[in-house]
Amino acid sequence: MSDATGSVSEEPRRDESDGLLDTHSPRKIVAWATVGGLAVLLAAGALFPNSLAGTLSDVITSRNTLASALRLSVPIAFAALGGIFAEKSGVINIGLEGLLIISAFTAVYVTDATGGVWLGFGGGIIASTLLAALFAVVTIRFRADQIIAGLAVWLIALGLAPFASQVIYGGPNTSTVPTIGAISVPVLSEVPFFGALFSASPSVYLLFLAVALSWYVFERTSFGRWIRASGENPKALDTAGVNVAHVRYAAVLLSGVLSGMGGAALSLDLGQFTGNGPTMVNGKGFIAIVAYLFGNYNPIGAFLSTMLFAGLDAMQTALQLQGIGVPRQLIRITPFVIVIVILALVGRTRTPEAAGEYYESGEE
Amino acid sequence: MSVGDRARDVLARLADASATERILISTAALLLSILVGAVLVLVAGRMTACTPNEAVYYFGTGFCYDPILVFDRLFLGALGDPLSGGWSPDGQFSVTLRETTLLIFAGLSVALAFRAGIFNIGTQGQMVVGALATAVAVLWGATLVSGVLGTVVLVPFGILVGAVFGGLYGAIPGLLKAYADANEVITTIMLNFIATGVTLYLVSGVFKDPESAANQTVPLPEYAQFPTVLFGGRQDFSLVALFFGLLAIAGLYYLLEHTAFGYDVRTSGIQPEAAEYSGVDAPRTVVASLTLSGALGGVAGAMYVMMILGTFQTGVPSYGFDGITVSILAGNNPLGVGIAALLFGVLKSGTTVVQFATDVPPQLVGVLRGLIILFVAMPEFFRLVGKRITDTGSRAVATDGGRPEPAAGSAGTSGDDGGESDE
Repeated sequence: MSDATGSVSEEPRRDESDGLLDTHSPRKIVAWATVGGLAVLLAAGALFPNSLAGTLSDVITSRNTLASALRLSVPIAFAALGGIFAEKSGVINIGLEGLLIISAFTAVYVTDATGGVWLGFGGGIIASTLLAALFAVVTIRFRADQIIAGLAVWLIALGLAPFASQVIYGGPNTSTVPTIGAISVPVLSEVPFFGALFSASPSVYLLFLAVALSWYVFERTSFGRWIRASGENPKALDTAGVNVAHVRYAAVLLSGVLSGMGGAALSLDLGQFTGNGPTMVNGKGFIAIVAYLFGNYNPIGAFLSTMLFAGLDAMQTALQLQGIGVPRQLIRITPFVIVIVILALVGRTRTPEAAGEYYESGEE
Repeated sequence: MSVGDRARDVLARLADASATERILISTAALLLSILVGAVLVLVAGRMTACTPNEAVYYFGTGFCYDPILVFDRLFLGALGDPLSGGWSPDGQFSVTLRETTLLIFAGLSVALAFRAGIFNIGTQGQMVVGALATAVAVLWGATLVSGVLGTVVLVPFGILVGAVFGGLYGAIPGLLKAYADANEVITTIMLNFIATGVTLYLVSGVFKDPESAANQTVPLPEYAQFPTVLFGGRQDFSLVALFFGLLAIAGLYYLLEHTAFGYDVRTSGIQPEAAEYSGVDAPRTVVASLTLSGALGGVAGAMYVMMILGTFQTGVPSYGFDGITVSILAGNNPLGVGIAALLFGVLKSGTTVVQFATDVPPQLVGVLRGLIILFVAMPEFFRLVGKRITDTGSRAVATDGGRPEPAAGSAGTSGDDGGESDE
């Protein structure tokens, strides 16, 4: 890690300046292209209300689109926040998808068994945190490869949730349970477009809170600094007397808690868990990974890029209803195509220096 | 994410471990997964409803599913009940071999990429693309030739088409990784979703069988499918396909171990810097390995269409993910893939027998799939356990007896196990 100081001191610096060019400019390009594209589209829509642009801008400016974008971004953004904590601490958690699946199922099951939606929400969080704990022990204590263990977490949940659903409900889909009702802020929810922000499911408000708190933890607390150090320079953290393994355990467990909120919100929003094929989670955990990479490991950046994906997803749902001639099955794959395009544009992001590496403390 | 670097790290570590140790770890992981599976079946048996006299009793508690019966059915059932007489080659054993055949190709696909230090999670998508291409191309070919000549021409043609289209689809993440640094774990998973979406669109539109309610292509005529040789016809199994599988194992083994290309692949897998220093064209190796890996996935799709289904239908079973388990269980060694494919084939075919005999859902195999990967990925765990047993016999906490409780401790919430034994 730090044997050849001479070459090391030169390499990262070049890496970083490369990184600035490589990561920031495409990121900016995409951001500006999005803003610019939106502006052009809205202008064209205003000029020619009956054209395709008109339909599109109608969809974009509709309050329903914002509402469903917010709703769709909840599971992705929660998982992305969790992924940031884990990866910043040096543990790449590619099993976010699995955490979402297990919490989505458990939330519905516990709600069904107890009758309490919030109990179900808590149950989902606990299930996801337990699975994250298993992942943490396997990678941190038993030094399993993080990527393979993460894939295992995903596949275990992908098998376990439909298995449990089959045992309990006799099919891959659970029965339906009550959902969490929306909370409306009196006056503000009347505002035309942005009113959607103030008349949403409690999970949306929880998400806002989680984004703000995560930002605060990383920027203002010593725990946040420890997490960063544990991912960038575990040796230094160790020398400063902080146990690297403990920090990593805490970070991975946090990724379990956050993903658990996302998964529970996803299924309780619908009142049912559907477990056919890729289950109702349907790749959201992997999209979350791309969202935080694109958001450069910043909670707010991750939230904004999630809104980009979710906004596209919300638009495609609206477009399917409007019928614009593009077949439904093809509109449905747009989020996945966008993810690949963005990943290709952003390319190599600057991952935490020690991410993916097992850290062996001097003592033991 | 420098996933590649890490993969190479693991591969280097794996290469360091002796073959014996790897076999021991794989065996232990398999046994441990099955033990955890037994616990899961017991727990599931507590959660489902059944009448008191249907239940079995262990430790004074009633369970609706009997894990011993489950595992008896799982293994003996998958082999076609060789002990109880009345063994028929057309029975369940053919199903096991049929699954094995597909798992060989899926496993080889994942293994080849792994050897090059690449995670190909996209075997599933490559298989789906290959399967649809084969179904469409062979259907067209079947109008030109027929009879025995048809079989001799169309089967290899179908395999070729599957390989080409699977290979092209595999080349996409290869190019993205080599030239745009896009992480192949994510791109291959996204491409799985895209493959499902696009094939659904095609097979519900242009390529749809007008006479079928399902989203499927027009069924292939009998002569355009794998011929039944000796046995297995009733279970859609063909020895010819298995023979192709064995050929692929031998071919990939030769390619990796005895050719210049294989040398490039292996060195870029273990030591990318050294490989590049010695003149290996890294981007080309990445693209070539993923293309070849995709081609093997595509052949799995061709086999699925020409041996099992006789048509392409949406909802292709996730052999691609099974392939990850097979490859990891085999230590990414082509020869090991053959054995691992048979073992996992037994598990897959066995779960359908289990479903008939008991009510345990076949999704159980999906859980085992993940557990096996998890356990093989943590050799350190088995080393620690092994050390503990050999060092101090009296402190063999984690593995004494092999009764369900230790398994629950070590895997269900493996946190307990690690934590406890530490203090």
